[in-house]
Amino acid sequence: MVAEQSGKEAAFRKQVRNWLKNNLPKGWGTPEYKAPERQSEAAQTLGEQWTKKCYEAGYAGFGYPKEYGGIERPDWEIRIIREEFALCGTPPGPMSQGLLMAGPTILRWGQEWQKKRFIPKILSGEESWCQGFSEPDAGSDLANVRTAAVRDGDDWVVNGQKVWTSNWTYADFGLLVVKTDPTAKRHRNLSYFIFDCTSPGFSRRPLKQMSGESEFGEMFFDNVRVPHKNLLGELNMGWYVALTGLAAERSGGFAVGGRSTARRGWGNMESIVELAKETKHYGKSVWEDPVFRQKIAQFAIEGEAMKANGALQAAMVKQGKKIDPNEVSVSKNYSAELRQRSDDMVMEILGAYSQMVEGSPLAVDEGNWVYAMLRWRGATIERGTSEINRNIIAEKILGMPRD
Amino acid sequence: MLEYGINEEQEMLKTMARDFLAKECPKTYTRAMMSDKAGVTRDYWKKMAEVGWTGLILPEAYGGANMSFRDLAILCEEMGRMVMPGPFISTLVMCGLPILAAGTEEQKQEFLPKIAGGQMIMAAAVTETDGDFWPGGVNMKAYQRGEDYILTGTKSFVADAMAADWLLVACRTKTSAAPEEGITLFLVNKDDWGIYVNPLKTMDETRKQYQVTFNRIAVPAKYVLGEVNKGWQYLKDAALKATALHCAEMVGGGDWVLETCVEYAKTRIQFGAPIGSFQAIKHHLANMYTGLEYARALMVWAAECVKDKDPLAELAVSMAKAYCGDVFKMVAGLGIQIHGGIGFTWDHDMHLYFKRSRALDTVFGDGKYHRELVAKHYD
Repeated sequence: MVAEQSGKEAAFRKQVRNWLKNNLPKGWGTPEYKAPERQSEAAQTLGEQWTKKCYEAGYAGFGYPKEYGGIERPDWEIRIIREEFALCGTPPGPMSQGLLMAGPTILRWGQEWQKKRFIPKILSGEESWCQGFSEPDAGSDLANVRTAAVRDGDDWVVNGQKVWTSNWTYADFGLLVVKTDPTAKRHRNLSYFIFDCTSPGFSRRPLKQMSGESEFGEMFFDNVRVPHKNLLGELNMGWYVALTGLAAERSGGFAVGGRSTARRGWGNMESIVELAKETKHYGKSVWEDPVFRQKIAQFAIEGEAMKANGALQAAMVKQGKKIDPNEVSVSKNYSAELRQRSDDMVMEILGAYSQMVEGSPLAVDEGNWVYAMLRWRGATIERGTSEINRNIIAEKILGMPRD
Repeated sequence: MLEYGINEEQEMLKTMARDFLAKECPKTYTRAMMSDKAGVTRDYWKKMAEVGWTGLILPEAYGGANMSFRDLAILCEEMGRMVMPGPFISTLVMCGLPILAAGTEEQKQEFLPKIAGGQMIMAAAVTETDGDFWPGGVNMKAYQRGEDYILTGTKSFVADAMAADWLLVACRTKTSAAPEEGITLFLVNKDDWGIYVNPLKTMDETRKQYQVTFNRIAVPAKYVLGEVNKGWQYLKDAALKATALHCAEMVGGGDWVLETCVEYAKTRIQFGAPIGSFQAIKHHLANMYTGLEYARALMVWAAECVKDKDPLAELAVSMAKAYCGDVFKMVAGLGIQIHGGIGFTWDHDMHLYFKRSRALDTVFGDGKYHRELVAKHYD
């Protein structure tokens, strides 16, 4: 909606739009398109293939040097690509923590062989990743990791349990934070490794969430051997390596994504207005209800604020000004909380239909709205709770003392 | 082209404005103006003219500095930071811009150099008893008698009327089904016999408002501004700009509140620790910071759209006004809360910002009004 800045930009936008039109799966954006089941192998394959296609066309792989397979483009092109992708919705990438976490972390801390070996296949979607951070007793207090590794020759032997693992099913590799020095103090006792998911002693199982699916899983390490050369960063300094990945993970937005972006029900302004216009309660159009109009307008305003802030920060970067890396806590909270407010608003629009989930003949838009509402209750918890992010904003940006 | 960043000259303007206001507009001045009937001193106005602010966006041909609307927004952000009192937006934006847009060459020559030079202060008398700035609210009549127009009636909620030398008065000269049709603008010398300016006691004492009564004032035809019956469009355009500038003031004011709270939270000790170490306070501060960040983004977008006459300018300004208004109210409210007892006193400056936030939210439409305009965009 922000007005086009030049003819050059308009031309590029058209080019991206055309590419999307020609390359999206058949029937995309129409009722004929049948999305693969969430978390299914078909969904994973579609994600891998889609990522590969985007990467080969030069529409993915940004932010990495060419030597590790990165794709370099001017910032404004990247912005337009992201806007256009968001606009029509695209299949999600493979259910992988590769692009979100593994890539940025390996780039920042990895040894040369690790960068060359792993990054290109992350960018092209060929290899899938997961991360092992959270544990039953290490949630917001992430440094309280108990899974331990003991050195044995060239390897470390790992024992313990990880939880809330995204892409637990299909991952080829994982990031792992383990305790390597039981005597050292907090934040100086953890190390960060890359592990191979085919290692003997490694097992995984699903964790059923309130949305009814098992997007996340649990991982168990029973004498799993991880080679010492897989260490990322210095030994016992893994906490600081982990912070890189967490910041990168927070920078991912909640506005779009997931399986259903091709169909309505994933929360953009236009589709909410459309839904409001075709829904009636007690004989009156929702869109003509002044209370709903206020709420929907507020959603539009907050969505535009997000875009405008992105443009403002991009302009600052262009001028060589440094953006505080902790700003990701601001945008993460903002987008996650906006997401929840808008999902709740949509439930109000749906009324009785908000009880109809996928599989019900009365489900609206295949139950996508309702699924999204349930799924994104996690948005203010995963990637750092809203409360932890508020602490970060107050302490790291505003300089408040720790309690 | 929409340019979100600010360039070197704009950085300089910002720094200069901050220094000027720190020196010339300390809270002692602001508080003195709160109890002053007119709310500004000629001396202060002259100093603003000397640095080129009173004609900042007027063309050089009329003594202005010919700077951009974004420059003006940057300046207003700094003014808002200091809750600067006075008829700045009234004179330059609500009166100067309609004269520039609709005036005859003679009118422009008569008024604009004086506005730019700081010799003339103006105020726009538009709103009446319903308190809303909209064409349907303009019912005070003006009728023609020979070469003159006779103005009779009362304007309410008129900002800065006491300080003004001249008034821009909107009158109904024709009744029609569409309320924006039939409004004519008049330039009226405030010293004319028959004009009564009564101060209205306001909650935000840094923003003066008055009731102005016109008792059979004769205005010569040469002081009709723009075409007869077609005056509303100029006011509407000026109000759009003034609204964007109020957003800048709100963001600036919010920044002052946040900075003041951050300092206080570091130094105020309770339970043996700085209150900023408590999560309850941290989370308030984080919410203020986050709100202001997005308010600023919308304000900058709106100012750039106005500057470039972008087709989305009205939408952007409505979005910014609704959001900045909500955020500034939230931030100023928490500003009092975080300061506790001291923040509730008259002597602490926090209430000036709290009151300014409530005042600006009502000016040119509150959040609810602008959200409805946003919804209309998607009809």
